[in-house]
Amino acid sequence: MKNKTSNNLLWLSSIRFLLRHPWHFVLSILGVALGVSVVVSIDLSNNSAKKAFALSTEAVTGKATHQIMGAAENLDENVYRKLRIEGKIRKSAPVVKGYGRISGMNKTFQILGVDPLAETPFRDFASQQSGIELDDFITGEKTGLVAQHVADQLQLSAGDTMTVSVGGRTQLIRLSGVIKAGNDRSRRALENVLLVDVSTAQQMFNMQGQLSRIDLILPDKGEQAMLSRINRLLPQGTSITRSDSRSETVAQMSRAFEFNLQALSMLALLVGMFLIYNTMTFSVVQRRQLIGRLRALGTTKNEILTIILKEALLIGFLGTVLGIIAGIFMAQGLVKLVTQSINDLYFVLSVQELSIGLFPVAKAALLGIGATIIAAFWPAREASQADVSTVLRRSSNESKISRRLLPLAGFGLIIGLLGGAVLLIPNGGIAAGYVSLLFMIVGFSLMIPLIIVWMAMVFRPLMGKLNGIIGKMSVRGVVTELSRTSVAIAALVVAVAATVGVGVMVDSFRGTVVSWLEAQLQADVYVQPPSAVSRKADAKLEPKLVELLKETEDVSRWHTVRSVDVQTNYGTDQLVAIEQGVEAQETYQLKASSENFWQQYMVKDIVMISEAYAYRNNVSLGDSLLITTDRGRQSFTIEAINFDYASDIGTITMNRDIYNQYFDDRAISGLALYAVDGINVDQLVERLRNKTQGKQEVFIRSNKGLREASIAIFDRTFTVTIVLRMLAIIVAFIGILSALMALQLERSRELAVLRANGMTPGQLWNYVISQTGIMGVMAGILSVPLGILMAYILVYVINLRSFGWTLQFMIDPQVLLQAVGLAIVAALLAGLYPSRKMAQANPADALRND
Amino acid sequence: MKKGIRYIFNLFLIVLLGIGLWYVFSDNKEKIEASVSVAEAMGGGDQEGYLRATGPREFIFPDDHGPHPGFKTEWWYYTGNLFTENGRQFGYQFTIFRNQLNPPEGDADSLAYGKDWNTNQLYLGHFAIADVQAEEHVFEERYSRGAAGLAGAQTEPYRIWVEDWEIKRIDSIGISDKNFALQIKAAMEDGASVDLNLIPQKPLILQGEQGYDRKGEGEGNASYYLSFTRMQTNGSISINGNQLEVTGSSWMDHEWSTSALDEGQEGWDWFSIQLSNGYDLMYYQLRNEDGSVSQFTTGALIDPQGEKILLGPGDVNIEVLDSWLSPHTGSEYPSEWRMNIPKAGLILDLATLFDDQEMAVSVQYYEGTLSVSGRMNGEQLSGNGFIEMTGYEEDE
Repeated sequence: MKNKTSNNLLWLSSIRFLLRHPWHFVLSILGVALGVSVVVSIDLSNNSAKKAFALSTEAVTGKATHQIMGAAENLDENVYRKLRIEGKIRKSAPVVKGYGRISGMNKTFQILGVDPLAETPFRDFASQQSGIELDDFITGEKTGLVAQHVADQLQLSAGDTMTVSVGGRTQLIRLSGVIKAGNDRSRRALENVLLVDVSTAQQMFNMQGQLSRIDLILPDKGEQAMLSRINRLLPQGTSITRSDSRSETVAQMSRAFEFNLQALSMLALLVGMFLIYNTMTFSVVQRRQLIGRLRALGTTKNEILTIILKEALLIGFLGTVLGIIAGIFMAQGLVKLVTQSINDLYFVLSVQELSIGLFPVAKAALLGIGATIIAAFWPAREASQADVSTVLRRSSNESKISRRLLPLAGFGLIIGLLGGAVLLIPNGGIAAGYVSLLFMIVGFSLMIPLIIVWMAMVFRPLMGKLNGIIGKMSVRGVVTELSRTSVAIAALVVAVAATVGVGVMVDSFRGTVVSWLEAQLQADVYVQPPSAVSRKADAKLEPKLVELLKETEDVSRWHTVRSVDVQTNYGTDQLVAIEQGVEAQETYQLKASSENFWQQYMVKDIVMISEAYAYRNNVSLGDSLLITTDRGRQSFTIEAINFDYASDIGTITMNRDIYNQYFDDRAISGLALYAVDGINVDQLVERLRNKTQGKQEVFIRSNKGLREASIAIFDRTFTVTIVLRMLAIIVAFIGILSALMALQLERSRELAVLRANGMTPGQLWNYVISQTGIMGVMAGILSVPLGILMAYILVYVINLRSFGWTLQFMIDPQVLLQAVGLAIVAALLAGLYPSRKMAQANPADALRND
Repeated sequence: MKKGIRYIFNLFLIVLLGIGLWYVFSDNKEKIEASVSVAEAMGGGDQEGYLRATGPREFIFPDDHGPHPGFKTEWWYYTGNLFTENGRQFGYQFTIFRNQLNPPEGDADSLAYGKDWNTNQLYLGHFAIADVQAEEHVFEERYSRGAAGLAGAQTEPYRIWVEDWEIKRIDSIGISDKNFALQIKAAMEDGASVDLNLIPQKPLILQGEQGYDRKGEGEGNASYYLSFTRMQTNGSISINGNQLEVTGSSWMDHEWSTSALDEGQEGWDWFSIQLSNGYDLMYYQLRNEDGSVSQFTTGALIDPQGEKILLGPGDVNIEVLDSWLSPHTGSEYPSEWRMNIPKAGLILDLATLFDDQEMAVSVQYYEGTLSVSGRMNGEQLSGNGFIEMTGYEEDE
């Protein structure tokens, strides 16, 4: 009973303390909240994207267990008839699929062409039993079905006509009816599906006689027997894969991307942890006397420890709840960015709404509260462990830390080196990269107090010259209260360094891509149909259009590109067939190649793979690649590796002549034109555009135009990263603000003494601003090396391990200046309020009250 | 102790629990399911724009054994009774239906099957085997569009098929384009199958009025109707994993129309009987909703030489002696009849060989093999036959 009351009293005193320092209390909650919200929002966005993908895959794949695919995306429709009639495979369904846009809605639809009569075992929304009117659907008229809510959004009802654009061609599709989802999950799963008949889809995609795939349901029992029976019926080049492994491959594409976002969000939480540590240390230090008295009065160490941890828990809890709520709001915006990036880079995805899963929220709660407790543990232990007599004197703490400076820095060095050692672990993966990053950050922060002392030695005379005695005093102040200032500065350093690291990484990336694009884009004019995924050329140019453009006046030469998905021994990969001869060497920058590659690649079964492909599949020069072609499974030797930043999935490139030998596909995905010397390219582009009026709608862009467009897409895909960096900057800013403001507010007694001894309000103001300014400068300077170190790891370890790209490390001085500036501005701002308050206060009151 | 911590902890737990519950209820793994709602049918009646059977016409073969696009409905209907060497009896039904989805417009629609995937023709197959000894009736339905080679009907070469179910001409010397041998091949998913050769033993019968068969009052409520009433059948039946060699005889009806039944007509009872004395009997009666028999009820008695004796509604008397209640659909079907045709001196006792020969497919009907015994002009006789009964669905 007695125990309980005393605990209650202690708790009340804690609450009192927090309430009497509302700025401090609020800012520390904000610190936690921000960290948590970033983690939550990224997690929720990733999760929503994943879920939307899984749902639409489920809708489109239906109950299919296997899929039959052709060599170069297309499959002869006779295979289906053979399967059905000769093979008597009843659970089979033809699918023609592609992407398109319905005017009036800003998203890409999956256009699914099916035979409703074969659909019953597969997709019940697409089957005749679901209510599709065959007399309207399969009779050759272009009709389609969308989900009810999509029709509502388009303000269409059954019988109305919608305009659908596919690969630059516009088609009118009459809405034959609407799909009524049976439940909410179905509604979300069907929200970007346009269901049409096989014949309609064939017309829409210009795929007469072709299918995209055949879906199968094979029984678990006797699956092997069935497979071999089916295989006997299949022509060369077709292959059967499990449906789940197919969708798995697709899902995997964006995995590294999502992981990196997650890791970056954790960085924000890490910054938040420093803030909490700072806050708790501050509150402990400030109550040193109170704690000493409590201890002297018989409160046990454990009670002190518990009460401090309880305070941390309260802050952590409030911050976490706030963070989760804020995170959910932020995720509404972030999910759009993440979806956009995935759409640009990997696959078509539509995420209409955020799905708030239990897991991300629970994880954030755990992280937020856990991080708070961990960050608060050392200050709490410090408070409870101290001897009663020394606790009553503050200076003891300061002398303690000055004795510990060297061991602390040594320890930091060891941790930092350990972090470096983590990088040496072979096959460490991306996670090891981030672990190493974490170690280095912690190690560096431990060295900060020592560095501050050194810096102060340099700064003191400097400030003395600049600002006289007050300047000197302000530098001294930083060192004399090192136990508090060093933590605050360390927090600032980590926060600012994170923004430097990410900033330098993005700059390096962008710089590399820009210079690569400059080399890569040799032709004068590029023609491409609009594709569903920006970085993939997944649509076809109409042959007539190609002829027309090639024959335009002032076009001296031209070459085409074909890009298809093929099956290799590594899964589904992007194969690019280029028409260029030896002159391709001007375009492609090779990282490694065998001798005379460019002479050989026109005649031999050899391919060039991109750096990312080599890394992802762990293959190198001389290795063989098995590609399923229309002539069967064929081995190609890798004889060159090129730099390519367009796809992190990687590409395989071969000569078109070789491609034509092995594939029946003659389609063209892109056309590059060279202008006659001395011709104004922009005028040529204009003429070419005029020529295509009323035909297939294609992008005709000059070299410069395409480069700009590509960079625009690049920037768009990095928007999420930049947003994260902005968030980290905000966390850092609030951190600096809260740490320094608290520091100064806590010194009101000391400042009152100064005032009482004759310091004018102006001088006081000068003193406080100078001190916070110095701390800002110190933090800014220290954040540069740590930021560069972080960028280095991000570029050379994490990027490499995620995507396999060689990037040029580029440091834009602007990023560094921005960081230092950020630290200083925040620091100065932090000084404003306390100095004003102190300058205005009556020194006598301040002395009396505190 | 630690009331504060406990308080926060409890609060936290409650929040977590709340989120958990909400998660469970909002995000359970519901199946993806949906239905389709379509635009109301536009324009006039269902039959507008289709060809109609309006009067007798001249038939040209082999063309008229083939499809008649432009008419809404067409079927090639094969039933038969087959016996193993040991006398074990099997009934079979194999039918391919052609359904035109939209009225014909111009030449493109005169095709009975599309070249691409788009088509106006839908094909259905119904296939059943009745194992009399085991009283087991297996059946299956199959659909396909009449396009992309999946299903269709053609005369050159003669072939009517729904995927791997097919009827095709076997070329034998000395047989005309009007009268030729056929092969029927079909297998159900569980393996039950037939592979039969059919040779007509009597000339083609033009039912009704020279092949024009009126079914109702209205103009065009009629069909064109051709039959081979007796076809020598050899081949094999597979059921429950056993393949059996069988012989027997089959009956073929080929009929096409746009609208057969009048309003107020509910269904029909259709008998096809091959008698031991060489006579064949086709008789159907259309039933009105009030239970009475329609005046458009007709039949034919075919003598052993293939001469047709037309039977009108007044010529045939049928008495239902027993009935069977389907446990599958709740419909009650007659199961035993006495048929009296004074005009031909024929009295027949008919009964289904076993009760459950119902076809519970997308359209519900009964297609069953019959036991036949009776007298013709005092002479005892037996026979084989089939009964088809439609319109016995429970009123909804």
